[in-house]
Amino acid sequence: MSVDLSSAGLGRAVEVAAIDGELKKLWEADDASTNASLMNFLIYTEDPSQLTANSETILSLTQENACRALLIAMDRKAPEPSIEAYVTAHCHLAHGKKSICSEQVSFLLKGKSLGRLRNTVFAHLNSDLPLVFWWQNELSDLFEEGLYRLVDRLIFDSSTWADPTAGFERIVTARKETGQSMITQDLSWTRSYFFRLATAGLFDDPAAKNSFSAINKVKILAQKEQRTAALLLLAWVVELSGWKLLLKNGDSFELSSAEGNLIEADIEWNEDGAPLSELSFFSQDCEIKITREKGNPHLCQSLCTDGHCLYFSSPADADAPADLVASQLSRGGKNSLFLRVLPQFFELL
Amino acid sequence: MGLGVAEHSVSNPFREDLVSRNRPEACTVVIFGATGDLTHRKLVPALYNLAVDGELPPGVQIIGFARRDWTDEFFREGLEKINRKVSRTGHDDKIWDSLAPNISYHQSEFQDEDGYASLAAKLDAVDEERGAKGNRLFYIASAPEYFDDILLHLKKAGLSEEREGCWSRVIVEKPFGTTLATAQHLNQVVNGTFEEKDTYRIDHYLGKETAQNIMVLRFANAIFEPLWNKQYIDHIQITCAEHLGMEGGRGAYYDGAGALRDMVQNHLLQLLSLVAMEPPTDLSADGVRDEKVKVIRSLRQWDTPELVKENVVRAQYLSGDINGNEVPGYREEDRVNPESETEAYVALRCMIDTWRWSGVPFYVRVGKRLPKKATEISVHFKETPSVLFNAAPGGVPDGNVLVIRIQPDEGISLRMNSKLPGTSLRMEPVKMDFHYASSFGKSSPEAYERLLLDCMAGDATLFARRDEVEEAWRFVDNIERAWHESENPPPMAEFPAGGWGPTEADEMLSGEGRKWRRL
Repeated sequence: MSVDLSSAGLGRAVEVAAIDGELKKLWEADDASTNASLMNFLIYTEDPSQLTANSETILSLTQENACRALLIAMDRKAPEPSIEAYVTAHCHLAHGKKSICSEQVSFLLKGKSLGRLRNTVFAHLNSDLPLVFWWQNELSDLFEEGLYRLVDRLIFDSSTWADPTAGFERIVTARKETGQSMITQDLSWTRSYFFRLATAGLFDDPAAKNSFSAINKVKILAQKEQRTAALLLLAWVVELSGWKLLLKNGDSFELSSAEGNLIEADIEWNEDGAPLSELSFFSQDCEIKITREKGNPHLCQSLCTDGHCLYFSSPADADAPADLVASQLSRGGKNSLFLRVLPQFFELL
Repeated sequence: MGLGVAEHSVSNPFREDLVSRNRPEACTVVIFGATGDLTHRKLVPALYNLAVDGELPPGVQIIGFARRDWTDEFFREGLEKINRKVSRTGHDDKIWDSLAPNISYHQSEFQDEDGYASLAAKLDAVDEERGAKGNRLFYIASAPEYFDDILLHLKKAGLSEEREGCWSRVIVEKPFGTTLATAQHLNQVVNGTFEEKDTYRIDHYLGKETAQNIMVLRFANAIFEPLWNKQYIDHIQITCAEHLGMEGGRGAYYDGAGALRDMVQNHLLQLLSLVAMEPPTDLSADGVRDEKVKVIRSLRQWDTPELVKENVVRAQYLSGDINGNEVPGYREEDRVNPESETEAYVALRCMIDTWRWSGVPFYVRVGKRLPKKATEISVHFKETPSVLFNAAPGGVPDGNVLVIRIQPDEGISLRMNSKLPGTSLRMEPVKMDFHYASSFGKSSPEAYERLLLDCMAGDATLFARRDEVEEAWRFVDNIERAWHESENPPPMAEFPAGGWGPTEADEMLSGEGRKWRRL
């Protein structure tokens, strides 16, 4: 494009009142590019130093997800209220030919914040398109009804929360207040997608399927900071297996199956491994393991009975939050399984 | 595995809610014609890409069955080499290395009974290794003259039978017959070997994202369906243009088939039925196919030479120029009979005699050596009553046109009229455009990926049913008879390569005040 698009940065500094005009100029300056948008995609952070990194994230996300990107950083400690705005566009060649561009508007809000976040969002949405809101880190007091009523899909990462119980309570309240219409997406849940897919695939095997009722131990290995991801994965196993929690002792659990068999479930920590590095099921005759080494883009699956083993490889989940967001956006959906698993997760938490 | 006979009635709790589609089941895929292009360029890359996306059930085995004296290793190396070049997602050694040990080669003539007995033994050995009886999927991708032999031998070897809760399915590649009689014969052979529910007649057009989107566009958007009838639609055009000719020895097959059999009988009539069908009662395979077959059955038959002359134009291209390159005429192409009477272009006027479509022509055209490669469906709406704007400069505005682009540049556009800025009332058509590539950066799966997965999941919605195939042949056979068996056959038209077909095809529309859409 011939216009000033510093793709790595925030772009051109503009007056807030002039944003629409500046965006228009951006497109008028170049006929060869197409402005595409499927959604409003907003990244919000209360760490202003993240603003440039978030612009890089948008550059990457827009390769597959054309959108109106809004980046908002809030510096609540600043003594005086002020606002800075920047516009730019991220362009990618679609299938090596046409240049497809997504526009980005960035804001740095400083000082007292009452109502300013909500109003900034209100004023700069592309009409009729859904709002996907990625709230980074802790949910602050700015996560309030007036704001989340606008949101169609809320993305967060519970692994970054100091108090997951309190955080999830706020999410549950927000869903209630929006008539359960807001889709919620925890990156800690997305992190286990391919583990869950591999589990389902392995239990299609007749040998594994037949050994299911004899499972007596489940083990999950994860980085300590991924505790919510590990617990959500275990909650998924427990919920879909129809097991009940009998006893909880730290990160060890005693469960019972529908037939009354006892199952021991342990979450162990491995700081040197992948965020989620193992999910295993054991019975007397059968051992089913899904493992991942740190940095490896593949899962290793094994199914062993009576000394015979089968091995498979399958894709692994992304590690970086931005990549997790991208894979979630490509899958879409209402995430109803996550909501179904949540009560079980709360019991395990 | 030591756990004895499979108990398929036990369910897998972890499948629940995971994906909103039927679950593909692990199976052994036996590909007949495994040394051919289709296997190397489409089928195995499709299975590989399913593995990359984590969609391929663990434990899928692939056995290539063909005549050449190849080893497992040689077969795998050849597949890997091509996969590196053509795979949609690129080539990942780790995924390939996990798939490759499950690929093997079985050398046999298609007519050799012993070859099927040893295939059965091989499949039993695979089951033995897995410790359970497994599902089997036979993919017939050989030359069509071997279809009968393969099917009959599969039956004789007992390979087509369901065993203790395990399925046995067959995918049959096109061409599914060359006439109604041969299609009926093939159907008899197929259904004498496999039950209809286990028979999957593949038409890769139905696996294309945009073909599947036709139903979504029509039935998931309230604004279209109320207008989708004779009251608002003037006519519909379906175009499948190809700029290539008979490169790569294709003339040998094509000259025996022609555009009508090669493209219209299957791909284009399938597209036509998706556009014209009534809303199905549900999205089950038979729910959808029941409605599609009603459309094909309702096609008015062009069953006399006079009717064919009036409603069908066939043509061959002469030498010409495409993209600055000189290209030969059809009869000068490699492996084409210099006196060939095979059409390389056909244009038809189809009439569907139903309440919804009475009087609405569907113009279908397909041809080689046209200016560019493009497949699209355009829905031409009627013009507005000429009471308001007939005095305006330019007169009555053009009718709206909704275009569904199947390939390339998949998407949908809507042409509407807009006032030109200024003090006087002038109108110009403008276009609202939706491009898959612009809106969704993620590439769509290849048609074969979707179709193989559907077959493993037992979902036949995107495959043609026996009656659909036979009804389509009935329609096509009448035209072929007029061309090749009547005393006074309709003439073969000509057009220079690189043009948009013969003038006779243009006249078919201009006589009714219409014209082909310029692509």
